[in-house]
Amino acid sequence: MDLRQLLLILALVCANDSLSTSEVILGRPQIIKCRSPEQETFSCHWTDRDFYNVTTPGTVQLLYMRRNDEEWKECPDYVTAGENSCYFNTSYTSIWITYCVKLINKDEVLDEKCFSVDEIVQPDPPVGLNWTLLNTSLTGIHADIQVRWDPPPSADVQKGWITLEYELQYKEANETKWRELEPMLTTVVPLYSLKLGRDYEVRVRSRQRTSEKFGEFSEALYVSLSSISSVLCNEEIQFPWLLIIVFGTFGLIVVMFLILFSKHRRLKMLILPPVPAPKIKGIDPDLLKKGKLDEVNSILASHDSYKPQLYNDDSWVEFIELDIDDPDEKTDGLDTDRLLGDDRCKSHNCLGVKDDDSGRASCCEPDIPETDFSASDTCDGTSDIDRSKKISEKEEDLLCLDQKDDDESHAIPADPTTWKPNTNIQSEDNQSKPPFADSIESTSPPVHTQLSNQSSVANIDFYAQVSDVTPAGSVVLSPGQTNKRRRTQCDAYTEPAIQCQPDFTMDNAYFCEADVKKCITATSHNAVEPRVQEQSFNEDVYFTTESLTTAAENPGAAAVEASSSEMPVPDYTSIHIVHSPQGLVLNATALPVPDKEFMISCGYVSTDQLNKIMP
Amino acid sequence: MFLSKKGVTSLPICPSGSVGCQVSLGNLFDRAVKLSHYIHSLSSEMFNEFDERYAQGRGFITKAINGCHTSSLTTPEDKEQAQQIHHEDLLNLVLGVLRSWNDPLLHLVSEVQSIKEAPDTILWKAVEIEEQNKRLLEGMEKIVGQVQPGEIENEVYSRWSGLPSLQMADEDSRLFAFYSLLHCLRRDSHKIDNYLKLLKCRLIHDSNC
Repeated sequence: MDLRQLLLILALVCANDSLSTSEVILGRPQIIKCRSPEQETFSCHWTDRDFYNVTTPGTVQLLYMRRNDEEWKECPDYVTAGENSCYFNTSYTSIWITYCVKLINKDEVLDEKCFSVDEIVQPDPPVGLNWTLLNTSLTGIHADIQVRWDPPPSADVQKGWITLEYELQYKEANETKWRELEPMLTTVVPLYSLKLGRDYEVRVRSRQRTSEKFGEFSEALYVSLSSISSVLCNEEIQFPWLLIIVFGTFGLIVVMFLILFSKHRRLKMLILPPVPAPKIKGIDPDLLKKGKLDEVNSILASHDSYKPQLYNDDSWVEFIELDIDDPDEKTDGLDTDRLLGDDRCKSHNCLGVKDDDSGRASCCEPDIPETDFSASDTCDGTSDIDRSKKISEKEEDLLCLDQKDDDESHAIPADPTTWKPNTNIQSEDNQSKPPFADSIESTSPPVHTQLSNQSSVANIDFYAQVSDVTPAGSVVLSPGQTNKRRRTQCDAYTEPAIQCQPDFTMDNAYFCEADVKKCITATSHNAVEPRVQEQSFNEDVYFTTESLTTAAENPGAAAVEASSSEMPVPDYTSIHIVHSPQGLVLNATALPVPDKEFMISCGYVSTDQLNKIMP
Repeated sequence: MFLSKKGVTSLPICPSGSVGCQVSLGNLFDRAVKLSHYIHSLSSEMFNEFDERYAQGRGFITKAINGCHTSSLTTPEDKEQAQQIHHEDLLNLVLGVLRSWNDPLLHLVSEVQSIKEAPDTILWKAVEIEEQNKRLLEGMEKIVGQVQPGEIENEVYSRWSGLPSLQMADEDSRLFAFYSLLHCLRRDSHKIDNYLKLLKCRLIHDSNC
């Protein structure tokens, strides 16, 4: 028994191998499929090749073997299932038993298959399809029908030997794609919303519930709905539309009249809106009416956020451009000149300034005393945050142009207080602040006197000046001292050896390499380090504490600075470390002369470049 | 199609301790048929997945030769035999087959995890089949209790001795053992499903489903 089994295994293995090769060779008969329609009988069909018949006519055989058997048996019925087929009736069929069939041609195995009957069940198509009209829609456009059929007669569903599942497909007569419904167990199904006046086709197929393969489709059922629609009148379909239009218009008119009469005034407002009275945001018009100008002004002044709205960019630009174009003309009208003539107005009270049309009067910032802009109570001293930032952006252009003109407008500088550590003093080093500040402030008078002799060439009144520090740590730039001033100071205060020539080829307000070179060398003699304003990338200008520390460390130098009015107060400090982007550490050491390459760019020196400068 | 297993278990059969409460035989058969159908679909899918993943190119055609451990139980092999057999005998046969699968399913769940890179679906299905089989067995015992009350049949079932083959070191042999087991499971679950539907139509609907 075992030996036979072994032999059988070997035979099957060999057959399998030959099978694989045979598939490659075209023209050999192959078993198409074996199928059982009702799980009681089954049949196998194979293909036939013509040329094969010519060579060896009619010698194809089908052998089968069941698991229990020991040898191959020949097909019991070649006829019933048609040509090239083998039919196994109920007596030969056992379910749940493995069958193997093979197709041979005189000992040459052509094809082989193994299966069990329960796997190959594919039922016949359902029979007796018919349909009935369920109802039609009121509009007479759609209709519902019910389709019913009977299970295939071969399948014994009544005894429960086989359980069938059905799938229905339908389509319009002139369509090509069938629409499917989900498989169902019942033999009755409604079809909804079919269009009257069209014809449909319906077909059904079935499968055993536990398998996946469907049987063949039934014949298509022809559902003719076109005959029904002719019953309905055309007028009936159109009539509602007219009614709808008429009633709709009527209703709209009524609604419109209602709106007109009820919202009479409002409509009038909409159509003919009243001309709005001028209104300043935040200002109570009553105040204006009552003539309480002082209160209004105080309100205006206290509202920082409203300041920028009082000025738009245009006015500033205009203001700036005028200055550039006509430097000579403007010098007369400049505030700095006025200031030079006038006593320094200590009060930041903007109201003290006569209100001319320049608009500068109202942009004073009384809340920022550190500005120490005692010299000017005009807009130069104003330090509005937003405005100053705008200004700083524009100053670049300004100053570039200005410098090209080589016009030295050395008006009264805002002092070195612009570089006051107020700008960004870190809390740890607050102590260094006061002495430093004081020292700086004390220098202001000499500075003033020094420079007052210079011609007022302040064709530009506003420069990047640090006037305030916001709580966030950023710096408020306000119009103030220019680089030129700085350079001028540098120029004025430089130690004998080198004149700090302002290099106006630089058209950048922030970092003038030439100035660095010159001013820094100057500082080597000066105990007090020049302060260089380095514009960080974020346009924040400030010193780190270390710079202040170094500044504080040299109180003597500061004192020197304070004492000697003649001593130039260098404006630059060498940069020691760049805590970019937050800031720089300024160092008292002299910097090496920057390379020529730095002279090229009209822009601020980047930290990388600075790093190169650093020793 | 069978819903979740919870859908079946949540239905109370009879509150414990109540007297005279009896779920109708029809309901019991409905539930049993649903369960058997579900088990068969699961084992069918599981077998197909396993076949696709592990059996391709391995030549497991020897399924033609090997039988299943439940072959010792003489179950009807065609419709005539099934119609001729008495429904009580058929019920007991169904019980026998179900009991015979208790042990193999338990081991299938534990051993299938040792298959290299077994997909989660196969693992999950094995667990599910094992659970549902137990439930179906309980249901069938209830049915038998109602159909033939008082009679206690000998518990006829086939022992399964295929565990060593599932644990073989040689991977090919081991995979073939799984293949055979899953093939047998699919076949037997189909048998049970068919028998129960047959019995349901015969007993409940009077052969007029």
